[in-house]
Amino acid sequence: MNEPVKQALIAKLTALADDELILAHRNSEWTGHGPILEEDIALANIAQDELGHASIWLNLRSALDGSDPDRLAFFRDALEFRNSELVELPRGDWAFTMLRQYLFDVYEALWLSAAKNSTYPPLAQAVAKILREERFHLQHTQAWVERLGQGTEESHRRMQEALDMQWGYVQQLFVPLADEHLLVAEGIVPDLAELKKAWLLHTTQHLQNSGLKLPLQMGYQPTTRETHTEHLWSLLAEMQSTARWDPEAKVW
Amino acid sequence: MDTQWPRWEVFKQDTPSKPHQAVGSVHAADPEHALLTARNVFARRPQAVSMWVAPASAIFSVTKEELAQRPTPNAEREARAAISEYLIFRKTSHKRSMTFVDYVGELEATSPEHALKLAQERFTDAEALAWWIVPASSVTKSEESPETVESWFAPAKDKTYKQQSYYGVVGSHASKFKRPKGDDDE
Repeated sequence: MNEPVKQALIAKLTALADDELILAHRNSEWTGHGPILEEDIALANIAQDELGHASIWLNLRSALDGSDPDRLAFFRDALEFRNSELVELPRGDWAFTMLRQYLFDVYEALWLSAAKNSTYPPLAQAVAKILREERFHLQHTQAWVERLGQGTEESHRRMQEALDMQWGYVQQLFVPLADEHLLVAEGIVPDLAELKKAWLLHTTQHLQNSGLKLPLQMGYQPTTRETHTEHLWSLLAEMQSTARWDPEAKVW
Repeated sequence: MDTQWPRWEVFKQDTPSKPHQAVGSVHAADPEHALLTARNVFARRPQAVSMWVAPASAIFSVTKEELAQRPTPNAEREARAAISEYLIFRKTSHKRSMTFVDYVGELEATSPEHALKLAQERFTDAEALAWWIVPASSVTKSEESPETVESWFAPAKDKTYKQQSYYGVVGSHASKFKRPKGDDDE
């Protein structure tokens, strides 16, 4: 692997990990606050799974540049994070959280399915492991979108509001990184433009079957992972506080 | 007003050679939702290959003690009713902390009481401490496709419980501060 490709892969793995890490943290904020105990447990499971995926991506990065996954997660500042803005938005209500997780799950399941044949063996192996969990996540969040979309007037309204808010943000998942084309050319990662077509087909169908309307106005679409909303700062302040308070953790 | 969703009994099968066992219950809005939450609550860690759910309200249950008080439930009452299928579960042991009913088989009967009577005649290999009679039509099963089994249950196999001792002790272990035997408190 030549140096530009290696650097592009490090950047991609970081972006993949950061999406999972920040989304996991947002979901974890529901722990103890879920609408019912069973869903509280379910979302905590999803959050743990996503956190596990973040760890897998950061370990792949570590194999390339020797970086320490824990340092990256807990000691990087907001401007060094490469997650999409969608995942850092506050958790909102249950409809907002379920819709975001659903839109992300469809993207992730499609990305992983396409990356199964990656020419970079460590990536292909990691994908096989993550993919099976992701299929179950998707079934769960898909069920919630359908039930809230077709449920009561209030649940429908909340789901529609969440969709109007997120539809533009979620498009960022399909904006490639600056040097991502190098990886696509080598067959290391899938082409996001192709995935977007499949994603649009899948989500449009399910959202409409759930009685929801796709927003006519796309709304704000973030285009770079180098800038963030203000929400990332407060999220990191909490997520990183313990590690930063006692970096050595000699006594606990 | 009771705003709770209906309660569903969950039956989990650990390996293909073992029967489905009642493991507990979940609240859920509908059968599919019940299966999804059941998977999260009962199959995140332990091994499983299949799950069933049934609304608790559809289950006819009777204990050994109840049977002793009214030895023959009126099985003839609905004798002319249509025949339908029932899943029979039985509890045979008080051992272990999770002593629930095990699936023993399926039979056709005209009512839950009738099914109970037939079950008592058929499943005689062990003493029944309790019976659950579940209409087959009220049971929803997890998909048997390899893809579903892989996605719902396989990840749990790699995720073992971590014992407390797994986590390394940083600093001094508490045992270091233990007093030798015989060095009693004042």
